[in-house]
Amino acid sequence: MMVETPTTAKGSHADAVATASVVALAFSINGRHCAVETVATAMLLDVIRDQLGLTGTKKGCDLGACGACTVLADGRRVKSCLALAASYDGADITTIEGIGTPDRLHPLQAAFIRHDALQCGYCTPGQILSGIALLAEKPKDIAAIREGMSGNLCRCGAYPNIVAAIAEVAGL
Amino acid sequence: MSDRSVPRYEAALKVTGRAAYEGEVPAVGLLHAALVEVPIARGDVVAVDASEAERTSGFATMVSYADAEPLKPSPATALIRDRAVHFAGQPVALVVADTLSAARDAARAVRVTTQARPSVTHMAQALNTAYVPAMVGRFPSVSNRGDATAALADADRVVRHRYETAANIHHPLEPHAVVCWWEGDKAVVHTSTQAVFGTRAMIAHAFNMPPADIRVISRLLGGGFGCKGQLWWPWMFLAMLAAKKTGRPVRLELTRAQMFRLVGRRQETVQDLALGFSTNGCLTGIAHHVTAQSSTHAEYSDATAVYTRYLYACPNVTTSHLLVRTNEPQPVPMRAPGTAPGLFALESAMDEAAVRLGFDPVDLRVRNFADHDQEAGRPWSSNSLRDCYCIGAERFGWARRPAQGTAVDGRWRIGWGMASTMYPAIRQAAKVRVQLAADGAVLVQCGTQDMGSGTYTALGQITADALGVPVDRVTVELGDTVLPDGPFSGGSQVTASIFPAAAAATAKLRATIAAMAIADEASPLAGQRLDDLEFRDGSIRSRSGNVGEPWANVLARKGTEGLEAEGESGATQHPDLTATSMGYGAVFVEIGVNAGLGEIRVRRVCGAFAAGRILNPLLARSQYVGGLVGGIGMALHERTETDRATGRMLGETLADYLIPTHADMPEFDIALIEEDDPHLPGSVKGIGMLGTAGIQAAIANAVFHAVGKRVRSLPIRIEDVLGRR
Amino acid sequence: MTSPPFRYARATSVDNAIAKGICNGSAFIAGGTDLLQLWKAGVTAPAEVVDISRLPLSEIDCSNDTLTIGALARLSSVAAHRDVAMHHPLIADTILASASGQIRNMATVGGNLLQRTRCVYFRGQDVPCNKRQPGSGCGARDGVSRQAALFGTSAACVATNASDLAVVLIALDAEINIQGGAGARRVCLSELYRLPGDTPAQDTTLVAGDLITGVIVRNVARFAGRMTYLKVRDRASFEFAVVSVAAALHIENGVIVESRLVAGGIAPLPWRLTQSETMLLGKVPSDAVFVAAGDLAIQGAQPLSENGFKIELLRNSVFRALQTIGGAS
Repeated sequence: MMVETPTTAKGSHADAVATASVVALAFSINGRHCAVETVATAMLLDVIRDQLGLTGTKKGCDLGACGACTVLADGRRVKSCLALAASYDGADITTIEGIGTPDRLHPLQAAFIRHDALQCGYCTPGQILSGIALLAEKPKDIAAIREGMSGNLCRCGAYPNIVAAIAEVAGL
Repeated sequence: MSDRSVPRYEAALKVTGRAAYEGEVPAVGLLHAALVEVPIARGDVVAVDASEAERTSGFATMVSYADAEPLKPSPATALIRDRAVHFAGQPVALVVADTLSAARDAARAVRVTTQARPSVTHMAQALNTAYVPAMVGRFPSVSNRGDATAALADADRVVRHRYETAANIHHPLEPHAVVCWWEGDKAVVHTSTQAVFGTRAMIAHAFNMPPADIRVISRLLGGGFGCKGQLWWPWMFLAMLAAKKTGRPVRLELTRAQMFRLVGRRQETVQDLALGFSTNGCLTGIAHHVTAQSSTHAEYSDATAVYTRYLYACPNVTTSHLLVRTNEPQPVPMRAPGTAPGLFALESAMDEAAVRLGFDPVDLRVRNFADHDQEAGRPWSSNSLRDCYCIGAERFGWARRPAQGTAVDGRWRIGWGMASTMYPAIRQAAKVRVQLAADGAVLVQCGTQDMGSGTYTALGQITADALGVPVDRVTVELGDTVLPDGPFSGGSQVTASIFPAAAAATAKLRATIAAMAIADEASPLAGQRLDDLEFRDGSIRSRSGNVGEPWANVLARKGTEGLEAEGESGATQHPDLTATSMGYGAVFVEIGVNAGLGEIRVRRVCGAFAAGRILNPLLARSQYVGGLVGGIGMALHERTETDRATGRMLGETLADYLIPTHADMPEFDIALIEEDDPHLPGSVKGIGMLGTAGIQAAIANAVFHAVGKRVRSLPIRIEDVLGRR
Repeated sequence: MTSPPFRYARATSVDNAIAKGICNGSAFIAGGTDLLQLWKAGVTAPAEVVDISRLPLSEIDCSNDTLTIGALARLSSVAAHRDVAMHHPLIADTILASASGQIRNMATVGGNLLQRTRCVYFRGQDVPCNKRQPGSGCGARDGVSRQAALFGTSAACVATNASDLAVVLIALDAEINIQGGAGARRVCLSELYRLPGDTPAQDTTLVAGDLITGVIVRNVARFAGRMTYLKVRDRASFEFAVVSVAAALHIENGVIVESRLVAGGIAPLPWRLTQSETMLLGKVPSDAVFVAAGDLAIQGAQPLSENGFKIELLRNSVFRALQTIGGAS
């Protein structure tokens, strides 16, 4: 966990628990510090997309059931649509924009391209973030990849290619 | 891997999160929209009161039927111009505010008064009102070939059953979205549509304005599957009205729950099917009668029984379609419309017949192969269905099929099944523009869309091949009405439609460059014969003499900025066809049923598909696998639930409406059987729909093979196959 | 449609959380994976959420034969914990069969135990539900009822409990620590849940301000190698159970001396199959005995129009679970 930045209700450092309908938050996003003020009901996804303009993280279902909004929070994959932004104050967030660029692809991104592990591309950032987190868990076989990736839906049906890309990077 | 298997054109953008979808377009002063819905399934809106909403923070404006009234009446505007409520959860107003949360707070504060009237919330409640629509798509609703009734009465064996399919929802992962604004009298509309030109035409009609004053942009779609078309337009019109009223850009993005109700569905069907056979296994008569749901505000019918007219040789075939109007959301085409539900019935019944007649299911199909289009009485342009059976069976190992009910793997009872699939190969009108820069760079443009089906890649490859340049020299632009008119994305028609237009454009350019080179004393090709020249590796060369030069040099010496040409091609003219074109496939599956627990898992799928020439095997496989995955969802999981008392849909989440996950994936083996088709430009047929149909019946047949139970209703779930421990 | 906005407060201590939690309209939030779904769907409308996620209640300790899990431990942390994997593989396996990798990284043990029903009427809009809107009626009883319960229902409610973990923890006789306005107490997890009766809006016996602080599981070594959680579902992953069974057997000298059978997906709370458990005692494990346990498990089931298949499914699941763990070890 990052060092916590004193926040919440504006100017109220003494009482860090003050009840507020607007909260001031600070995150590290892709290695850069950023401070935002947002409504208490904002999800991390809303802050990332609407306030920080990082639209690579997608809103597919907004109820935690599709995985398109997957980001890493302090290294763990989470569904940012069900992550109350205020609860993630001080967190170190990685979104797809922090993984690689077209000129400097992450190995999993390159594998996705080689295996055609995407079609419409809308679930892709979430699949890649989820895949990167899964790779760190060292899946032992293809079945473990399939199970471990099941929180990420793909309506185009690119699943086998996604698993092939992850398996390749995992050395399976 | 084939050298035609080039990676997806836009893949690097998509894997890095740089791909911008239309709902993400930034706009200064953007307002956010939320829809106001009503709970009643049928009735009228009496009043929409925004007085409380107006006092909420950030409120900008509300639009409702009062604002929509000036729009021209049409099916596309009916839902927003009228006060009538046709289904529960129908929006009746749209609120815009500074932020999305403010818009939702305001929408919650809108007070709607309604007058409810008795509703019809499911088909069975109104079967007595069933009627025959004039057409089902481009086909007549009713067909009669020979005398099916007499043939069935005289048949040696008759298989007669009722088959049912549930209402499905498309659920592209990108919800429908629009970001729109007005520049004076001109409208700019960024929206995830499968048809930029169709959308522009509907806006032009509704707002009574010249199409040229409207720009519709849909450069990327996060999936479509048939729902990103007309049914979405009323809600988009509301956003445009709000933008006009406020003078600011407006974004409307549907929620996932709204995706269940507002953008269409695959219609629910009840199908009565009878197959008559002679003892030698030849079909003598077929009757296929479909009853399906449509809404009370619009009419739509899949061509569900239509493919029964074509697939098999049979002298006596009758088919019909009935519709029942209910206060439920409106159906629209969805992935393999018609074929997916229709072939579920036909190919399930063929399997039942094979068991009754004592034939292998593949042999029975081969025996009844239609060697020409018996409905229209003309040849096929190409038909490799028998190769699909043969190659698919070989790769799957069908010859080793165990006896029914005998195969087990631990606790799992194993079953094998197969089915045929087909889909018409037709073309829409298309225009393609190709520009060559003096440095050899190529730009190709077409106002069609890429839903994730690979249109960017295909058009780039077609153009690169025709000009003899590497694909990475080609820039592709799609999804914008400032580009040449392109086809809507649907029906597996785009690649076949744009191929001839791109071919025409590139042919003009080749001819121009060749003529320039021949006439250019400074060119090594000066004086060569035109038909002796070819374009390869970025050069124009003589086939015989081995002389040539980069064609960019030809342009450079001319001092030209570049060249441009437009190609155009027409839609399929059905009455004039000398041959009928379809794509075909055979799908073989192995499933397991967890004994006593009823869990059904697909273990192995082999699909053999014959659909003309394959431009890109890598992407073609993805398309087929994607279709098969969608078919697995339809077969085993997908069904909407509606509370019959209120007409309200239930379980409007992706945790309730199940679609397959990674863990549900079988091993896939895809056989691409390529065909030369002299009737089709470039031998190109569509491929996308083929995978989605057929597999439902293959799975149902495999379930029977595993546990001896015929399930004639989709989806097939635990309760359908729960057997003894 | 989302509920009205809530205010946010971050608790600085357990006492501080309880003080805030007692206030009318407040709700604790930890992982938020259920509460925020309910808020977005318009089912729950807290005036204030009290963020307890930073309270020091996420320790996992396994010593002196007792596993103690802080209520705020993330599901994934529990499943990955070395001692849990070694001494309580059933808990680890059950967690890994729940939700998705992302949700397990967010959701806490306490939150999992308190997740609300997946009944589509409860989570729906404009349809009756006594749990969501007391007095509005039960839409599921005569409506879409595939998910509905077979046991423990009332005229007012037929909803099921959705937690996998609770089913297994009750099979393992887990206890929970609760702190509240009236002080601290420890109760059996089974005492947390209540039947709907005439007041289905109330899922648990907790009162305002009560905070689950931890879960305690005693030594289960006697069941080693003979514990399982069978989760039956429509798709292979990422789905709530249609029916589930947690089973544990203690066999000595070839005779069953202790048994645990708890079912999920069939009742408003994890449903202990007491009759089957009792019948198994003193029996030599055999298919016939396990069949009899399955037959007893379904006695008294009250099906609705669409969930009758779960009777046969429960019977078969009990048999399968027992067969899986009851063979020669």
